[in-house]
Amino acid sequence: MECLTNTKIQDYIGDTLNSVESAMARDHLIVCPACKKKYSEYETLEKHLLQPVEIIPPAIIERRVLAELFPLLPSYTSIFALVAASFVLLVTGIYIYFDFANNSIIQAIQLTANTTSNWLATLIKVISAVFSGVYTIFEAMNRVLKLLLKINLGAEIIGLTVFVLFTLLFYPIFKLAFRKLKG
Amino acid sequence: MIMDEDQVLIKKILEGKKSSFEELMKKYNKKIFGFIYRMVRNEEVAIELTQDFFIKIYGVMSRYNFEYKFSTWAYRICYNLVIDYIRKNQAQVDSLDDDAVTQKQLLESENYVSEDGFECLAREELHHYIWKVVDCIPVKYRELVLLRYLQGLKYDEIALVTDLPVGTVKNRIFKAKEMLRTEIEKDGMFN
Repeated sequence: MECLTNTKIQDYIGDTLNSVESAMARDHLIVCPACKKKYSEYETLEKHLLQPVEIIPPAIIERRVLAELFPLLPSYTSIFALVAASFVLLVTGIYIYFDFANNSIIQAIQLTANTTSNWLATLIKVISAVFSGVYTIFEAMNRVLKLLLKINLGAEIIGLTVFVLFTLLFYPIFKLAFRKLKG
Repeated sequence: MIMDEDQVLIKKILEGKKSSFEELMKKYNKKIFGFIYRMVRNEEVAIELTQDFFIKIYGVMSRYNFEYKFSTWAYRICYNLVIDYIRKNQAQVDSLDDDAVTQKQLLESENYVSEDGFECLAREELHHYIWKVVDCIPVKYRELVLLRYLQGLKYDEIALVTDLPVGTVKNRIFKAKEMLRTEIEKDGMFN
């Protein structure tokens, strides 16, 4: 009988031959050392392939996927930090604004700012303008609230609330931007 | 309709249960990462692609057809992701194939040689050696060997995943095993 082809040996191992072919292959393997050798090599190979060497995935994969799909809500600590930061920002803003308004040197710079191209004067003008604009908005919001709900929170409280809400609302975007910055 | 374990998880995920997705990810993470890593042979890329896979699968989960096995559907997505990457980075992958890190170099580099030489390789070492050789065969054979033995798919399932006829799948896997046997025999590892 002719020797078994490699395909036939693999089929025999995989048990995909019909009963006649299978019996013929079995009989041949008993008498042919060359085919028997190939058979045992394929069998060894099959046995090892059926037990793959495991590769452990780094834990970072799960963490990154979950962070991407389910951005976490801000923790209590970060909420507290945001409130504190907004408060400091607002108080500093008010202080700077009123100090600007009252300080004679600043007043002098502001007065001369219109006629000079001094960068400091321009900067002061910009800060004053931005703060005045934002403060006017908060005052308007306070007036609306007063009209509708009959409560007077004051522009500062409104400002603080808006800062906090804004930061919370954009928290995921800030977080993403921060992560990108960190690389 | 009777649902299997995966399909129950998917149903819960579609209902918005985050923990079910975590469970599904834990179940498939090892297999998916193992497959991708053995295909691209670069840990960083494998991490990126595994992440992309899970994010993608979450995004398209609503399109999953419950009449089919989830694993076949998922492996198909994973397979396409890897093949796309390999096509885009053909040169890099080819160079890895060209290296085909001669098996002996591979053994030397990873201290597979026991004190008495190749003849005395322990069974465990032979096991690792065989899988290292798998990593070195050309992609078109490797992908099928990995789907068959790493993912445990049947020939017809592999055909579904790869879009190849069942006959081609079977022939290529046979050819791959022939290549593996020849390579291992050449190095006298069967002794």
